Amino acid sequence: MRLLAAELIEGREILPGQFLQTYDAPHLTSARAGQFVHVRTPDYTGLVLRRPFSLNTVDRASGTITIHFRVTGKGTEWLARSRAGERLEMLGPLGRPFEVDPRSQHLLLVAGGLGIAGVRLLVDEAIAAGRAVTLLFGAARAADVYPSALLPDEVEYVVATDDGSLGHHGPVTELVPDYEAWADQLFACGPFAMLRTLAHQAAGRDARLGVARLGRRRGGRTPAPGTARARRRAWLQVALEQHMGCAVGACLGCVVWGTAGPVRVCREGPVFAAGEIAWEPA
Amino acid sequence: MKTKRRVVTAVTRRRDYPGPRPRKSAIVGPPKTAPARRPAASAAGPGRDPIPAVDGVRAAAVDLSVDLAPGRPGTLVLRNPVLVASGTFGYGIEYGEVVDVEALGAICCKGTTLKPRAGNPPPRVTETPAGMLNSIGLQNPGVDGVVERYAPLWAGWQVPVIVNVAGESIEEYVAVVRRLDGVPGIAGIELNISCPNVGKGGIQFAVDPEGAGSVTAAVRRVTDLPLMVKLSPNVADVRVIARAIEEAGADAISAINTLSGIAIDRPNRRPFLGNVYGGLSGPAIKPVALRVVYEVAQAVRIPVVGIGGIASLEDALEFLYAGAAAVQVGTAIFADPTVPLRIIEGLRAFCAAAGVPAARELVGLALPGGRRRTPPSVQGVEYRP
Ligand SMILES: Cc1cc2nc3c(=O)[nH]c(=O)nc-3n(C[C@H](O)[C@H](O)[C@H](O)COP(=O)(O)O)c2cc1C
Ligand code: FES
Repeated sequence: MRLLAAELIEGREILPGQFLQTYDAPHLTSARAGQFVHVRTPDYTGLVLRRPFSLNTVDRASGTITIHFRVTGKGTEWLARSRAGERLEMLGPLGRPFEVDPRSQHLLLVAGGLGIAGVRLLVDEAIAAGRAVTLLFGAARAADVYPSALLPDEVEYVVATDDGSLGHHGPVTELVPDYEAWADQLFACGPFAMLRTLAHQAAGRDARLGVARLGRRRGGRTPAPGTARARRRAWLQVALEQHMGCAVGACLGCVVWGTAGPVRVCREGPVFAAGEIAWEPA
Repeated sequence: MKTKRRVVTAVTRRRDYPGPRPRKSAIVGPPKTAPARRPAASAAGPGRDPIPAVDGVRAAAVDLSVDLAPGRPGTLVLRNPVLVASGTFGYGIEYGEVVDVEALGAICCKGTTLKPRAGNPPPRVTETPAGMLNSIGLQNPGVDGVVERYAPLWAGWQVPVIVNVAGESIEEYVAVVRRLDGVPGIAGIELNISCPNVGKGGIQFAVDPEGAGSVTAAVRRVTDLPLMVKLSPNVADVRVIARAIEEAGADAISAINTLSGIAIDRPNRRPFLGNVYGGLSGPAIKPVALRVVYEVAQAVRIPVVGIGGIASLEDALEFLYAGAAAVQVGTAIFADPTVPLRIIEGLRAFCAAAGVPAARELVGLALPGGRRRTPPSVQGVEYRP
């Protein structure tokens, strides 16, 4: 984790109200998929909190990173208006990354809307490691669908829209059962309700498939919950989003309920094994 | 987290200040050698203060030290008057390499209760105009957890750690402080009295002079640790409360805690925070905090520590002028964790430029009658909500 200035190289609107910006930030290119940066807004007296953004892609060769965001308020409005050459303060990389089991060859990724930014880097990492990736993407309508041109050719890209204007008509989670037998692991980011549905589906998966794949259930000690090893063994990992204060674990502002007590999205997360989260808190 | 780092001062800038009339002053604390470590990004912080050109007093010779427990000499002398506020800096370790904690005046850790607490339901924080609301709900591992997990680490630090203590009954406060008393690594206590007093029908200790006085007195009886009591601004006349706390034996008063507020989630037509109510902090509350400090500094003789919206050298100076002997930085840390360190360096340079040999000479300059704070003024409050 470091606190440094990053220079905006270019930014463009890739979807209505959604921006993709490239920054010169060599110190952040060591980040792994799932990690994020905490970006300082310009006018402290007006906007007192930084804004967290997933590291959407990193490019070690050029020392650049990208973030992908939607304009939802004053902070993101200002960010969208920044010009090339401006320098932003970024704290990062923060949080814990997705953990892919070394034996997993087929990765299923599920993104709801802007949740694509949470799994986008995992696409690149998996392909670089020679894994097969299927990305299921859900949006309200065709106009909000992430452009396939921004994805590597190797990815199988499947779209669902709520209004049926493109791809599957209905929630993206309905596509998941078709891939359950093919995929070794599932990684998701998006609205909480979507992740909760996936968690419920995941709970019944072992029973539906009969045997756990890759010998995951055969012998070996069960790793302690919350560890990287435990996540690596999980069928479903989710990247959560939450309002944040410090983003380093100091303020306890980003807490969500876990099955073993409160967990900080910025520190224990943002990536969790589905089993770590209390999806239906009392 | 490194331990045993040397005190950070502006010594390395000495050659910039040929100081025609260097003045000697007592510098408390160990020798100062290491240069201030400033992450590059500090260039654009909220507290980016114009550092005045220096002549007059050599910056290295400026005395920033402050005694927060003059009644117990030598127990809580800080090297500089800039602390980090409870709840915004965790236990001093979370910011890791980003902040050199050893350069701070002191650290107030997250509120500590007798038993572990899971805190309030999420969401817990949201930005508001020029501020933020939080409803953490005192999530903490309990006093035993704090003593076991963090005190050993703190014992290796030179920076004093003040444990912020919360409770729902006098007995709970007393039990927590008893457990902390004598533990190496714990330099003092800050009582957060903005909690409901269950024994008194849930009325907050902080709004009731009797409650505030009795919890302070009860804690005072069980510890010799320096004792600071933190005021809530959500009261009619804060001076009455402050006097009760002073009479009960507190060594210092810190002010203010957050203001009560709520936010509404418009699309869903319901309160935004999981707990409905939250505490407002940040620049939005600075005028309120200044008013409270101004009033309390005239009402009591013990040191007052100003808190509320401080994000720059200018803010810190205003609090000192209003009568604060020291300041705490809270919410501003979230935007820029280097703010406290930059206020310290800025204050040193400011004093040097102004020819002020010791920062404590700035305290109370804006009070009626200037620094002559004794006897306490009996002037009335101008405004009562
Ligand atoms: C996220 C958060 C958590 C806090 N937790 C505590 C706490 O546990 N105990 C306490 O006495 N004050 C707590 N406070 C209040 C601060 O210490 C401080 O009094 C207040 O935020 C005003 O200062 P500021 O405007 O500089 O933040 C908390 C504030 C924030 C923002
Ligand atoms: S945002 Fe402060 S603990 Fe996570």
